[in-house]
Amino acid sequence: MNSKIKTNDVILQTITKVVFFIIVIFSIYLFFAGHYTPGGGFVGGLMTSSAIVLLLLAYDVKTVVGILPVNYIHMAAAGLLIAVLTGVGSFFFGVPFLSHTFGHVHLPLLGDTELATAVLFDLGVYLVVIGVTLTIIQTIGETE
Amino acid sequence: MAFQILLNFFVAFLWMFLKGQYAAQDFFNGYFFGLLMIFALRRFFARRFYLWNVGAVLKLIYIFNRELIMSNLAVLKVVLAPKINARPGIFKLETELKKDWEITILANLITLTPGTLVVEISEDNRFLYIHAMDLGDAEEARNDIKNTFEKAIQEVSR
Repeated sequence: MNSKIKTNDVILQTITKVVFFIIVIFSIYLFFAGHYTPGGGFVGGLMTSSAIVLLLLAYDVKTVVGILPVNYIHMAAAGLLIAVLTGVGSFFFGVPFLSHTFGHVHLPLLGDTELATAVLFDLGVYLVVIGVTLTIIQTIGETE
Repeated sequence: MAFQILLNFFVAFLWMFLKGQYAAQDFFNGYFFGLLMIFALRRFFARRFYLWNVGAVLKLIYIFNRELIMSNLAVLKVVLAPKINARPGIFKLETELKKDWEITILANLITLTPGTLVVEISEDNRFLYIHAMDLGDAEEARNDIKNTFEKAIQEVSR
């Protein structure tokens, strides 16, 4: 927005403040829905990045970095590390690389919950997708 | 308003803990008793009793839906008319609303009214520039907006 006339973005910013949370909660729902229904780490990650892109559209880059001081390259690296470690974890049980397991665990407060190690792998995918997408967008956005 | 709702929830939870039963029915019972209590002690609070605000929100939703239907019917009339004899133009409207969300809701409501559309908001949030499909009754449109929407929105944030 390098135009000489400054526009007042009050409507866009107010709507963004509300809609951001709706998009993020929907992306988290998609992330956990991936086991039995459509969804998963990739779509959830893209959804979350799209929410942050909406913030970037409504505010400027400096403000968003102030709100979310995250290094997205580190985030992508952390995601890859988590995904690899879930694969390495299968060696401790004497099964091939990337073997996944699941089981019903009785947790306090939550009751009978099904936990799967595939969710951890999906978390890695989720972080990589957010990291890569926002690294691309921020790199393009910062070069004048 | 938010504080009263929070207090009401707190009373409802207390009621559940006293009963020792954690069901939705007990929560609603506790919520109802808390509502009666807050109503009885409504003079303690800085803001008015929050059910009136909830009523104002419902009224705003009703106005919103009514305007949506009316505006689409008005546009249908204009589109199907054999000749368009309207004079389009942009007029300025001064608003007394201060908060961001109030101005956003007002702008969206104006956009949904028949024949008006918000194109710009001034830097100090005091003036709205509105494009009218027919400028012949701009003054009438101004008063209309002032009397219905601004009042309804002010009711909500009282």
